[in-house]
Amino acid sequence: MSDNNLLSIQDLCIDFQTKEGVVHAVDRVSFDIKKGQTVGLVGESGSGKSVTSLAIMRLIPNPPGKIVGGRILFDGQDLAGLSEAAMRKIRGNKISMIFQEPMTSLNPVFTVGYQIAEVLRLHQGLGKKEALERAVDLMHQVGIPNPSQRVHTYPHEMSGGQKQRVMIAMAIGCKPDVLIADEPTTALDVTIQKQVLDLLAKLQEEYKMAMLFITHDLGVIADIADDVVVMYRGKIVEQGKTTQIFQAPQHPYTKGLLACRPSLDRHPARLATVSDFMTEDGQEKPAHARSPALENIKTARPIEAAHTVLLEVKDLKKHFPIRGGLFGGVKSWFHAVDGVSFQVRKGRTLGLVGESGCGKTTLGRTILRLVEPTAGEIIYNGQDISKLGREEMRQMRRKMQIIFQDPYASLNPRMTIGAAINEPMIIHGIGANSQERKKIAGDLMDRVGLSAKVLSRYPHEFSGGQRQRICIARALAVKPEFIICDESVSALDVSIQAQILNLLLDLRDEFGLTYIFISHDLAVVKFISDEVAVMNGGKIVEMADAVSIYKNPQHEYTQRLLSAIPKGVPKALLQGAGKTGLEPRL
Amino acid sequence: MSLFGWLDKYVKGTSLTSEAIRRLLRDNFAMVSLLIIVTYVGIAFAVYFHWIGVEWQTEIDTSRAAPNLAKDWRYWLGTDLFGRSVTSKVLQGTYTAMYVGVVTSLISLAIGVVLGALGGYFGGWIDDVITWLYTMISNIPDILLLVAISFALGKGINAVIIALGVTGWVSICRLVRAEFLKHKNRDYVQAAAALGVGHTRRIFLHIIPNVFHIIIISFSLRFVTAIKSEPVLTYLGLGAQSGTASWGLMIDDAKGELVQGVWWGLAGATVGMFFICLAFSLFADALRDAVDPKLRT
Amino acid sequence: MAAYILRRLLYAIPIILGTTLVLFVIFNVVPGDPALQLAGKHPSPEVLASIRAELGLDKSLPQQYLTLLKQLVTFDFGRSYATKQRIMDMLWEGAGPSLSLAAPAYFLATITSILIGMFVAFYRGTLVDRGIVALCVAGQSVSVLVYILTGQYFLSYRAGLFPISGYDPSWDGRWAYLILPGIIFIILSLAPSIRFYRTIILDEVYQDYVRTARAKGLGERNVMLKHVLKNAMIPIITDLVINIPFLILGALLLEGFFGIPGLGDLIVRAIRDTDRPVLVAITVLGTVTFVVFNIISDILYAIVDPRVQLR
Repeated sequence: MSDNNLLSIQDLCIDFQTKEGVVHAVDRVSFDIKKGQTVGLVGESGSGKSVTSLAIMRLIPNPPGKIVGGRILFDGQDLAGLSEAAMRKIRGNKISMIFQEPMTSLNPVFTVGYQIAEVLRLHQGLGKKEALERAVDLMHQVGIPNPSQRVHTYPHEMSGGQKQRVMIAMAIGCKPDVLIADEPTTALDVTIQKQVLDLLAKLQEEYKMAMLFITHDLGVIADIADDVVVMYRGKIVEQGKTTQIFQAPQHPYTKGLLACRPSLDRHPARLATVSDFMTEDGQEKPAHARSPALENIKTARPIEAAHTVLLEVKDLKKHFPIRGGLFGGVKSWFHAVDGVSFQVRKGRTLGLVGESGCGKTTLGRTILRLVEPTAGEIIYNGQDISKLGREEMRQMRRKMQIIFQDPYASLNPRMTIGAAINEPMIIHGIGANSQERKKIAGDLMDRVGLSAKVLSRYPHEFSGGQRQRICIARALAVKPEFIICDESVSALDVSIQAQILNLLLDLRDEFGLTYIFISHDLAVVKFISDEVAVMNGGKIVEMADAVSIYKNPQHEYTQRLLSAIPKGVPKALLQGAGKTGLEPRL
Repeated sequence: MSLFGWLDKYVKGTSLTSEAIRRLLRDNFAMVSLLIIVTYVGIAFAVYFHWIGVEWQTEIDTSRAAPNLAKDWRYWLGTDLFGRSVTSKVLQGTYTAMYVGVVTSLISLAIGVVLGALGGYFGGWIDDVITWLYTMISNIPDILLLVAISFALGKGINAVIIALGVTGWVSICRLVRAEFLKHKNRDYVQAAAALGVGHTRRIFLHIIPNVFHIIIISFSLRFVTAIKSEPVLTYLGLGAQSGTASWGLMIDDAKGELVQGVWWGLAGATVGMFFICLAFSLFADALRDAVDPKLRT
Repeated sequence: MAAYILRRLLYAIPIILGTTLVLFVIFNVVPGDPALQLAGKHPSPEVLASIRAELGLDKSLPQQYLTLLKQLVTFDFGRSYATKQRIMDMLWEGAGPSLSLAAPAYFLATITSILIGMFVAFYRGTLVDRGIVALCVAGQSVSVLVYILTGQYFLSYRAGLFPISGYDPSWDGRWAYLILPGIIFIILSLAPSIRFYRTIILDEVYQDYVRTARAKGLGERNVMLKHVLKNAMIPIITDLVINIPFLILGALLLEGFFGIPGLGDLIVRAIRDTDRPVLVAITVLGTVTFVVFNIISDILYAIVDPRVQLR
């Protein structure tokens, strides 16, 4: 064991008691964190990365979780066996942690100043006044403007980004040796994410802290981590220096994970998926077994005569009333969608990209009249559907469908998926009898990559990715022409995301579908779209074809958005990569 | 260690309801409570069809005879001040209690579920009216409202039932309304709307199955409240009159009985009430756990 | 803040109007002719007419409603039908005993329940927690009357520790008569309160900010007493305030059984005597008081919870 190691995890094993039996959440995980270094712990959901980090702090709820083996060596002690009292002296003091959800991680009834000061009073014995002064200083260090005033504000008065800064201030207050960051930027917009990551890097330098950064986003890891640990299903599959992992990954899972990310500077016609590299039991697939389509480069599809305008939106507005005043009357209006106009051509995909609150989701729902527009026209195939009556609108719904973001909320938990797919068919008179409908449903399931036999099962028996496939099948049941994908892959793991994106592409080509693809993830939007519109504050600030908008953004907001995206490649490898961008050797 | 857990292999299927039923089968407290409830229902039916407890009003013995297990079942719990069999009165009271509990809860449920669903789902002026209505009623303290309604409707068991039913719908309405508001905005209902599913289907086939367990739990809790309110109203002179037999009357009579050393009437009625209230309370809790085991107790 | 208070107070007016309307409908419209109820069997037309005139029933319904409102605003509900006393005097007289019984008992009961609630929340999931909750559920399966009767029987009648019933209006003398009903009051409110507070506290314990507090190195006791409790106190305090009107109403049954001449006892007697004016007065005044305390509770909530934005 090297003396340089600050924190050394050796053969850590953590079990969870569930109704189905014992789950080995973490299985003989070993890695080291050196002084002043950043270790990126990367993996998808279920990999055990969060559990590992909670274990270091001994914050795993017991029951149902328990450390059943291994050691966590820190400063000469084994944290796994330390008494609770001794552990308390370490938490927030020598090892600190920040979490994913800034919105709920702060106590709503104490001021932020109080909460920062609390950690100082606890571990450093500072008096009330002294601690508050230190808190103001810390808030200044983390970049909160007007700290001497804001120290008296309550969490709900701050934005998500600011709350996360407060969390960071609390964590570094006692100058810890190690900072554990568990997905700290996942819930933040990409521009805010950049600010927070820059802040963490700066503080790490200043305080000479070691950092354990947990994320599912390899792009972020490339930017900030010195070493990378890749976890899959509770085990470490690969670890090493960041440059080495990105340049020459060894394990098939790592290779797949790296390859399946849509990126801004590559143009694949189809995304690789983890299953292209790895079989179910973790064996590597030889190169020739992978999908040949992976080699294709996507070319911009020119607009042809057949691509008539299918949907045109003219000056569409959706305003929500803000109530207030003495009698709860309408005080003012919130312009969620503020005069949006664009065209979508048949068979093509319009990508709609923007950060949270820009109005893209509201726009999607307004186009489908799930939310009634305040003003403007929605012209579908020459007909203004914003004025249609109920029965006519129902007919129109056959042609225009939507796939939502959250696969866990989009299916009725008490309906079998067969019934869910059947329902729209019954309503729109598709299929002459129940046998025919059953056959159609079975075909649809095959088409989306699931078996017809599972039609009698319930949603809770499927994974997130599978549920999203079911939602796609359900939308296809009415044989639509036009589908809005509202953040349809945002809630999925990266490898599953790639599968669903490929599926959407295949379906588009097979059925001649037209998409509007809404997302906050520019790389995903670039991969799947022909044209891209950037939205901010309810308006479209820029719209162009997918290739030029990324190469040559015109609007200042678009430029800011693009520059905030992590490069996805370690800096060391960028220098000398030249124009070809980087193709990791697979 | 579960008594009825072996039955779970007969409950087939993977739906959430099947899983909840299997969980209930493995929960001993839930099963025992269910057994108790079924027993009470059975007794109530038996009394209704005059198979048992018919002659509760006849004087069978000298008054105030202590419980006597040696003689036939009518003497097991002794006799009251008028020589009537306490056992018969308890049985008859079981019927009264079940009748009061069930009818009251059904009335409350009917009003509460319908209004809550309409208000929560449709919003707008319908919701405003319904909210106004239950705000008004909930702003009148329960006991005062009961007194007022009982005054208006007169005395007797049926007046009690109507009074309790009409005051009890508010909490159910609030719950159902909140659930409808929540589910209406969930993606799966929005998806149904996007697919062209109309309002009726959305309400009955999508939302209601997801709200059903709440309705059952509310029923159980209302039942217990109704049974416990009956003695209070009887004490006030508003409830069961001397022609009917009810646990409330038995408890009220105990005022005069205790000083004469007669405690078995009170004991019988209290025990009778205890087990059915306990059973419904435990069952409601168990149902809550079975349907969503992630919720902590 | 002032605007918020003003808005809540203004909001109270339609509620008071609405509730009095509902009560009016119940008292005047539903029973048909109230005069018939009061007149007893086979009344002569003259008796009926005089009763009607006395109760103001000979006027039109809207006028009757306005009369009710006037009575409410002037705090003058006329005289009791049974005792011929001025009703407001009766209410004043009854308030003292009711408060003497209910206020101290409520105070003690609340503190005890919060302490026990925190205790079981701290030891959640253990045998102690489940045992106490089970005890509460069992306790709530027994009728209130049974507690009163057995308490009276064993502690007063048999053991002679307390007087069975009665009351001494003097300041010193009253407490001897209030101890036993007070004890029973506390026992009766323990079970529902403990379960309620336990739920509120547990709701907070599973929040994310508690995890953050632990990650800062705070001990479990600190987490519970500082972070959790402060959040839990918000709904608890608002609940406490809403319950105050019930103190004034008096513990109806306790007063009846123990012969304490408070407002609750007044209600019991009014029902027995079919004393309509008294019942109307108490229900209307009781409701208005309840509405006012609801408003106070809302305002208190806005003051105590920093998340509430006062427009």
